[in-house]
Amino acid sequence: MPEVIGRSVPRADGPGKVTGQTLYTADIEHKGMLHAAILRSPVPAGKIVRLNVDKARQMPGVKAVVTAADVPNVRAGWALFDTPMFARDEVLFEGEPIAAVAATTLAQSRAAVAAIELEIQEIPPVGDIDMALAAGARLIHPKLAQYGSVPGIVFNREGNVACKYAYEEPGVDEAFARADRIIEDTYDFGRQYQGYLEPKGTVVQYRDGRYTVQSGHQYVFNLRDRLAQFLQIKPSDVRVQGMAIGGGFGGKLDFGPEPYAAVLAKATGKPVKLIFSREEDLLAATVREGARVRVRSALDKDGNIIGREFFTDHDNGAYSGELILMAGLALMFCRGVYRTGPIRTQFRLIYTNTSPTGAYRGVSGVPMISAIECHMDHIARELGVDPRAYRLAHTLNNNEKLPNGQMLHDAAILMEAYAEIEKIAPWEEMKRTKKPLEGVAIGSTVWLTNPLPASATVKLNEDGSAHVLSGTCDIGTGAMAQGVVGIVAQTLGLDPANVHVVQPDTDVAAYDGGSQGSRTTRAVGRAAEHAAIEVRQKVLDAAAPLMQTEAARLTLSGGKIHDIEDPGKAIGLTDILMMGAFASGPIVGTGKHAEQPIPFDPGCAAGLAFPTLPTPTYHVHMAKVAVCPMTGNVEVKRYIVAQEVGKALNPQGISGQIQGGVAQGIGYALHEGLRVKDGRYMERSLEAYRLPLAVDIPEVEAIILEHPADEGPFGAKGTAEPPIVLAPAVIHNAIYDAIGVPLNSIPLTPENILEALERRKSA
Amino acid sequence: MSPTRPLILLPPSGKRQVTVMDFIYAQKLEEALDALRSQAGRAKVLAGGTDLMIQIARGEKQPQALIFIGQLKDDLATISLSQDGYLNIGALVTHRQICADRHIQANYPALATASASVGGWQTQSVGTLAGNICNASPAADTIPPLLVHEAVVTVQSAARGLRDVLLEHFITGRRQIAIENDEMVVGITLAPPPADTADAYLKVGRRKAMEVAIAGLAMRLTMAGPETVGELRVATCATGPVSRRASEVEALFSGQKLTNELVTQGASLLGRMIQPIDDTRASAEYRKLVIPKLFRGAVLECLAKLGIAISGLEKS
Ligand SMILES: Cc1cc2nc3c(=O)[nH]c(=O)nc-3n(C[C@H](O)[C@H](O)[C@H](O)COP(=O)(O)OP(=O)(O)OC[C@H]3O[C@@H](n4cnc5c(N)ncnc54)[C@H](O)[C@@H]3O)c2cc1C
Repeated sequence: MPEVIGRSVPRADGPGKVTGQTLYTADIEHKGMLHAAILRSPVPAGKIVRLNVDKARQMPGVKAVVTAADVPNVRAGWALFDTPMFARDEVLFEGEPIAAVAATTLAQSRAAVAAIELEIQEIPPVGDIDMALAAGARLIHPKLAQYGSVPGIVFNREGNVACKYAYEEPGVDEAFARADRIIEDTYDFGRQYQGYLEPKGTVVQYRDGRYTVQSGHQYVFNLRDRLAQFLQIKPSDVRVQGMAIGGGFGGKLDFGPEPYAAVLAKATGKPVKLIFSREEDLLAATVREGARVRVRSALDKDGNIIGREFFTDHDNGAYSGELILMAGLALMFCRGVYRTGPIRTQFRLIYTNTSPTGAYRGVSGVPMISAIECHMDHIARELGVDPRAYRLAHTLNNNEKLPNGQMLHDAAILMEAYAEIEKIAPWEEMKRTKKPLEGVAIGSTVWLTNPLPASATVKLNEDGSAHVLSGTCDIGTGAMAQGVVGIVAQTLGLDPANVHVVQPDTDVAAYDGGSQGSRTTRAVGRAAEHAAIEVRQKVLDAAAPLMQTEAARLTLSGGKIHDIEDPGKAIGLTDILMMGAFASGPIVGTGKHAEQPIPFDPGCAAGLAFPTLPTPTYHVHMAKVAVCPMTGNVEVKRYIVAQEVGKALNPQGISGQIQGGVAQGIGYALHEGLRVKDGRYMERSLEAYRLPLAVDIPEVEAIILEHPADEGPFGAKGTAEPPIVLAPAVIHNAIYDAIGVPLNSIPLTPENILEALERRKSA
Repeated sequence: MSPTRPLILLPPSGKRQVTVMDFIYAQKLEEALDALRSQAGRAKVLAGGTDLMIQIARGEKQPQALIFIGQLKDDLATISLSQDGYLNIGALVTHRQICADRHIQANYPALATASASVGGWQTQSVGTLAGNICNASPAADTIPPLLVHEAVVTVQSAARGLRDVLLEHFITGRRQIAIENDEMVVGITLAPPPADTADAYLKVGRRKAMEVAIAGLAMRLTMAGPETVGELRVATCATGPVSRRASEVEALFSGQKLTNELVTQGASLLGRMIQPIDDTRASAEYRKLVIPKLFRGAVLECLAKLGIAISGLEKS
């Protein structure tokens, strides 16, 4: 039996996806199923003056039309309860749901939506964070102070600020007062749409007083809880069955179409399918937030950073989702991975009359880390020193702390990552061989892993195969299809082809924190490893009497139980399962995982949702770009990643994640762009919102570094989320190197680049 | 008679009506022409459908019938060369066929480049050259190279037979073409280029494929002597409501010595002549900035193809 761990075992769910056999939510058909459509606000802000659904109710095929009048008058939310299911008296963003229709066909429900009489008295929208923060700005949530929230977390809210967090170490002002020079930058970051292949969709049934929800979803328990809040029922009255998911990238962690389909299913007594059109999905997606980061460093005469200010403002949109939990990142990332002297940091999440924002791979950390890395290049250039050398001279070492007091025991891995890249792309040579308008850049960061708990059950079948039950899906990373399968196969000595993962189901599995933040392989993997170890012990216990020996002398591998002291003696696993099951009962193991508390500084981090995050991993990225003088377009000529992963359970899977994350980071930097004008998106389709294509992205050279983590599974750490986080800054800095001026905003449009080139020419 | 079936399309979000139209499968060219005549303006010709089906789905066009000509490949999907060197491109010739055609690659490479940039592999495999010009989008990629080669469009009707129109006259406005209700395009003809001629098509987009042009420029340069221009032709797209040749710019060059100053002058005149708009793809200002640069880039590319080096000609 070859080792499973460390080998590039092909993923179990690959062939089905490639050949089209995999069933997605859109493929579901139930008898009598109705099709739903949503009426959304056509304006970013206004009062609903008239809403009449009588005519729509009379339309052919229409079975139900529901509005705010038909649902509990509550506000729900992941952490801060500010979101109504339907707009009641006022609309706060373009695309906000106002009514929903179920009809026999989709055409009928769309026609009925168009027949709803809606009159809105428009109000000038608070369209961006500047307007929201301006003195005398209209309050988007006048009753903000009264909203409920999850216990245990402090949200300082005021005006249009949903959450403000600030902290400073002693000595910041003194550092700036005695600084030899002060360097300040303000960076603007645009929104980014997750752009998954499968728009959000659901099928909901209401039967025997319970809702059954089928959705391709990243976090079925969160969805269950949100439905319970909106519908004012017990979470256990909702069953969420996860379907195969056509991508999510953070966009499918909260509710989407589900509450609307649920209300319609109850109203009609029929299964209701609601699939967003692409335009609708884009309009209502909880995209990566726009942000503005101001970072200011005090330098002494040797160029050391002796003080740092870091102010980061994030656009919440009209309602809160996950971002309100991210305040602590401003503390963890304000220093980057460099020594800075004392820090002053502030995070604000600001309401605007725009579509609500949310998680996208590298949640809220992308703008923060981008700002730090762009600022580092600026400092180096201002000092006239090489940006790589400047970083190396100030990079944190082992056992230095992040500002939250969390110890980085192994930060020296960063040096190893620089050294590995140096072997294949020597920096001086990269610089020397640049042609005009080519640029190179390098950057580094730490990234952390989502800490939510996990559980898994492994059941061994009579034929010697195993099923793994958990509450999370394979979001597409292979974390379940390759990672967890591999962990269980290795532990039980099974062929990975004989280990199957079951789609998540809130009725079946225990609580799980969902497929997010690089946690699945690590957290679910550890739970599954514990479960598999229990299974293995039970197998050996069942085999011992049959082999007339003690369990301690037995091992399980290659589908057989062997006696260590008598190698000739072995019994087949299936024999045990057939015979043993009579005596011992079916063999099932369960496991769980919860993070051990990480020491931190309570003085600064108390009250934060995440004062610390587990398993720091270390990353160095390098890029070479060429700027076209005719168009201002940028071609990424070379992209190299050195990433610490703990242990590469499946190297091919990790390379795939690195390629994908970098592609999204390059896309964010160069191609995508979701501009907001007067509260509305300017890009409203995938024709206008330009996701990068395969031809736009180079093949990423991935160097995988392994420092196995003690706490397992098999040493693995969180891997899939972070490849995105450095790419925007590294691309920005490479362009900075190519054209000699920083652009200080992302995306980096050909317009801005060409304009900068013109400026340079005339200067 | 051609088989006819009803075609039912979902309404776009926010629209009430379900679209129902007759779908006519023409089996022969005569059937298509007869159907056009009898439908008397109710029908649209459907080739690859990469423009038309999207416009129908968005509710922008609501023909009552579609005449599908995709079956007429024998008549219309060929590229043929006449004895005197004229190239005829049938109305069903796809962009993929154009970029793969050796004669086009050798004699009208700008057209091959333009066709290779229409959307992606899928749209190029079904989208046709005739569809691209009949749709007459201000951003259509193949129109500028066809304009600089003075392409002639052949249209046919059951009542009046064949008729030739210069492409320049065929496109009358933004999404407007000079075609009667009962007519369809059957082919596009290109004259053989003169000696010492090269062409280029430069397209601006934010991605390398699947990009509606932010701006595009085609040039055909014929040299009369080592440094003397015989004729320079230039046309742009996505720079105004209609793609047109820039005759004032062309006039500057004819019979002139090609110098850096002249190129600068031509480039800036072209930049002043165009009337681009702001749209989601790019600002008018950017287009005004980029077109003169494309002009210079196209001159350099044509000269490189001709193997001519002119001293003093700056790269940008
Ligand atoms: C994803 C995507 C990307 C695209 N990218 C580009 C791009 O980069 N550049 C670009 O220029 N275009 C682009 N297009 C537009 C389109 O693909 C091209 O214009 C294509 O050449 C149209 O050809 P068709 O055969 O599909 O035309 P159809 O959609 O079949 O027809 C287009 C129009 O021409 C008429 N028509 C077609 N054939 C005839 C005929 N023989 N006689 C009379 N009328 C006729 C039709 O009635 C219709 O009005 C894109 C389209 C899509 C869907």
